[in-house]
Amino acid sequence: MLKDLIKQYRTEKTVKKPNFSRIKTGVNEAKAVMPEDEGASAKVKIGGKSYTALPVPEVPDDCYRKCNFCGKAILNMDVRKNLYRCPKCGGYFRVHAYRRVEMIADEGSFEEINKTMPFVNPLSFPGYENKVQVMKEKYGLDEAVVTGRCRIQGEKAMLCVCDSRFIMSSMGHNVGEKITEATELATKEGLPLIIYCCSGGARMQEGIVSLMQMAKTSAALKRHHDAGLLYVSVLTNPTTGGVTASFAMLGDVILAEPKALIGFAGPRVIEQTIRQKLPEGFQRSEFLLEHGFVDEIVGREDQKEVLARLIRAHDRGRISEAAKRFVKEGTALFGNAGDNKGAADESGSAWDRVQISRSAERPKALDYIERIFDQFMELHGDRAYGDDGAIVGGIAEFCGMPVTVIAEQKGRNMKENLKRNFGMPSPEGYRKALRLMKQADDFGRPIICFVDTPGAYPGMESEERGQGEAIARCLYELSGVKVPVLSIVISEGGSGGALALAVANEVLMLENAVYSILSPEGFASILYKDAKKAKEASEVMKITAAELLSLGVIEGIIPEETPASMDTIDGLSAELRQRIGQFLAREEAMEPSEVLEERYSKFRNL
Amino acid sequence: MFHKVLVANRGEIAVRIIRALREMGIKSVAVYSEADREALHVMLADEAVCIGPAPSTESYLNMESIISAAVAMKAEAIHPGFGFLSENAKFAGLCEMCNIKFIGPSASVIEKMGNKSEARNTMMKAGVPVIPGTKQPVYDAKTALKAAKRIGFPVIIKASSGGGGKGMRVAESPEKFEELFNAAQLESIKGFSDDSMYIEKYIQNPRHIEFQILADSFGNVVHLGERDCSIQRRHQKVLEEAPCEAISAALRTKMGKTAVKAAKAVGYESAGTIEFLLDNGRKFYFMEMNTRIQVEHPVTELVTDVDMIKEQIRIAAGEPLSFAQKDVKISGHAIECRINAENPEKNFMPSPGRITDIHLPGGNGVRVDTHIYTDYRVPPNYDSMLLKLIVRGRNREEAIAKMRSALGELVIEGIDTNIDFQYDIVNNKAFETGKISTDFIETYFPDYVKK
Repeated sequence: MLKDLIKQYRTEKTVKKPNFSRIKTGVNEAKAVMPEDEGASAKVKIGGKSYTALPVPEVPDDCYRKCNFCGKAILNMDVRKNLYRCPKCGGYFRVHAYRRVEMIADEGSFEEINKTMPFVNPLSFPGYENKVQVMKEKYGLDEAVVTGRCRIQGEKAMLCVCDSRFIMSSMGHNVGEKITEATELATKEGLPLIIYCCSGGARMQEGIVSLMQMAKTSAALKRHHDAGLLYVSVLTNPTTGGVTASFAMLGDVILAEPKALIGFAGPRVIEQTIRQKLPEGFQRSEFLLEHGFVDEIVGREDQKEVLARLIRAHDRGRISEAAKRFVKEGTALFGNAGDNKGAADESGSAWDRVQISRSAERPKALDYIERIFDQFMELHGDRAYGDDGAIVGGIAEFCGMPVTVIAEQKGRNMKENLKRNFGMPSPEGYRKALRLMKQADDFGRPIICFVDTPGAYPGMESEERGQGEAIARCLYELSGVKVPVLSIVISEGGSGGALALAVANEVLMLENAVYSILSPEGFASILYKDAKKAKEASEVMKITAAELLSLGVIEGIIPEETPASMDTIDGLSAELRQRIGQFLAREEAMEPSEVLEERYSKFRNL
Repeated sequence: MFHKVLVANRGEIAVRIIRALREMGIKSVAVYSEADREALHVMLADEAVCIGPAPSTESYLNMESIISAAVAMKAEAIHPGFGFLSENAKFAGLCEMCNIKFIGPSASVIEKMGNKSEARNTMMKAGVPVIPGTKQPVYDAKTALKAAKRIGFPVIIKASSGGGGKGMRVAESPEKFEELFNAAQLESIKGFSDDSMYIEKYIQNPRHIEFQILADSFGNVVHLGERDCSIQRRHQKVLEEAPCEAISAALRTKMGKTAVKAAKAVGYESAGTIEFLLDNGRKFYFMEMNTRIQVEHPVTELVTDVDMIKEQIRIAAGEPLSFAQKDVKISGHAIECRINAENPEKNFMPSPGRITDIHLPGGNGVRVDTHIYTDYRVPPNYDSMLLKLIVRGRNREEAIAKMRSALGELVIEGIDTNIDFQYDIVNNKAFETGKISTDFIETYFPDYVKK
């Protein structure tokens, strides 16, 4: 790798000495006396004495390699130490399956299953057996995937890792078989499943039998899912073709490594078909995240930790243990709820509260989330179109209990507001929320929602993608989840856009929050034909926390001594923490059917 | 013995090494950056290779270029000098892999001594006295405060990978401790990508004493006495002398034996320095080990008559030490002043530029190690040291007199230097009487340490 540089240095002329041409440098110059025969017996005279010549320095071939991203020379040992990333540009190199196992599984915990499998050649394809044999010998792998049980930070899991060196990790019968068997075993043993995906697609030499592996693996995953078990797929460079159209995209959670190529049709095929050059970054992990197909991009240094956290967050045992603790020690942990629903200061007018609720100074959902919960991990995307910045959601821990958190998020400044669309969700935002609600229901996690939106985004694109349908679907599904749902209106609760996250067993409001059928401006323009009469409208609409409590729309009020701000947020978060704890302690004492019934009858009576 | 050695450095130390090589009949290869085309070390070396653009990360710290240059020029060894790659374990390891002798200790020793927590643990195991402090690195202010209370205030907060005062704070009392800890840790994270810190007892008004050792590949280790490097400005040495006034012959023997023990404990080879803090009660504590030749090595050379660069090269070539401990005689007194291109009036702001005129002092007992010459342009990219003025007298008094005279003669025109500041130091009464400690400049020249 350094050969070019060495050559260049050899041919460059020694520098000229412009200023000091009269300096004599060679006064005691070494006189190399090389005998005719080369090698060890070569002698060299230094400082009047004769010495055996030392070996000539050289750079061993395995010392350096060229980074195929930045083109720089990099030390192989640095690459290994840096989790197979370029130490200079950070580019991700492909990782051999067993190295990957070492990176993810706890030391010594990996028990391989199906290490070998008899070779099959369903089409009797000429030369195929020989090719596979060569691969086996060259790489010390039996097939393009390695499967086995392991522990990740102590958590048991089934792990499958694809190896791209083996015929581009294409999915032949044996690859499909190993993944299917691992999945079936995971289902039988109640283990979460993790698959590190990487593939060029189908294995051409196996024809239609290779295609069938897509159905086979997907079917096994469906059973694993129906058994209430977690499947995390991790997409690495490259994940394409039939693998993308089967197990890679079926994860309950889909993670990706940075800048990995992920797609169904390969970029060359697309370019040839549409006769256009594809833009930079097309079909890369970041592109998929933006388009809603990846939950998160996770760097190698964090993958083990993230996987372990995901397993814990989907562990029913942990959830029920925490639930039991909450029920038993709820009062000690979170104080006694009693009948105190919280009261509001009567002095402020509704219009004042409208102004306060819209204030830029008011804390946003993420400000509360980071104070109330531990280890919040955001999960992105609706798996259909995009990732809406106006809705954030994910999993977190509340006093040791895994919960799902979904929130409408306004920006803290103009730049962030452009990303968050001023807290006005689009259909893909609601569909992301919907996905997370279903996931919470599947794994028994309570759902905590934070409502803060002027309303769903009224744009052309929203209508094109079915804003109404998306909101309706949220109301529909949320009414039917078997886990407790708590919604907290922290500032603005604008119309259907707010209700989509508020079909809850209990709805709490901050004292200065408002929750209404639509904005007072909208109300005034419809009823009074004059948006300027918003102030008047606000006084008759019954939109304040106190008014909504007496209407039975909400269950409690969180008092604000002074309007909520970043100065008072710690106190408010502590209060919210108590209320959430009291809520969970009460709900977890009930049967799922009772939780469901409670929510149904609440809205039934309105 | 090597027939050709590459000098992976610049400035006066590169010149110093090239001269030693030439005296030994070994060919020298200089490497230089694009900013150093007209540097003296380039002109004095037998061969020279341009290894990259001015920023040191692309030239003097660029391992690939330097290794390639050594291979291209068929140099069997690399002398790293000080700074740059001199204490880089990875570079030392790389040299080894490429059949190039790194003139210095092995990669594993550099690594061990480069990590301060590990160095300290190694020394404690070897029975070398260390400053009371945390044995394990600490990562958060609360734990650190507990440790600090156990050790007793005042304490010093240090970054594990720190140096040159970065990531370092002194806490007098528990009140401001957490704030200081967090500031030091942040500096360390930013500067060294390392958040491991440690806390130790802060020794008030100590002397910074370091013992020079030489160790060959046969397990022979000798010490060449001590240097007093107490005159420091913000943890950067300004003036050094040998021997130290406060050290008696008996104490020297005791500390020297400890230094040798420390070097043996890590299986040291080449020239190295064991740094100690010496408190007012003549108690000494191990601070750290420098695994390289040091800037101030000439003062030791002048009082022991040992050429340390040549010894380093001989040791690296596998020769045994040419003398034993009993042969080491310390005679006379030597002082070194570091002359830098910087303006003490402007908070020691570096002052690069063209040197228009220069006059160097000389005569009996005066040594000048430098790479500058008339019309030389000091590049802004590197360390600002221009010249080391070293004098030797029969005793400290004579050495001080000689230094005053030599500094008085030294003229560097065209750029700002700290010559006058050094002149003030050697004329200071407290300095003259030998009452020095690491807070000397803070005490007598408070204007020069303002933030």
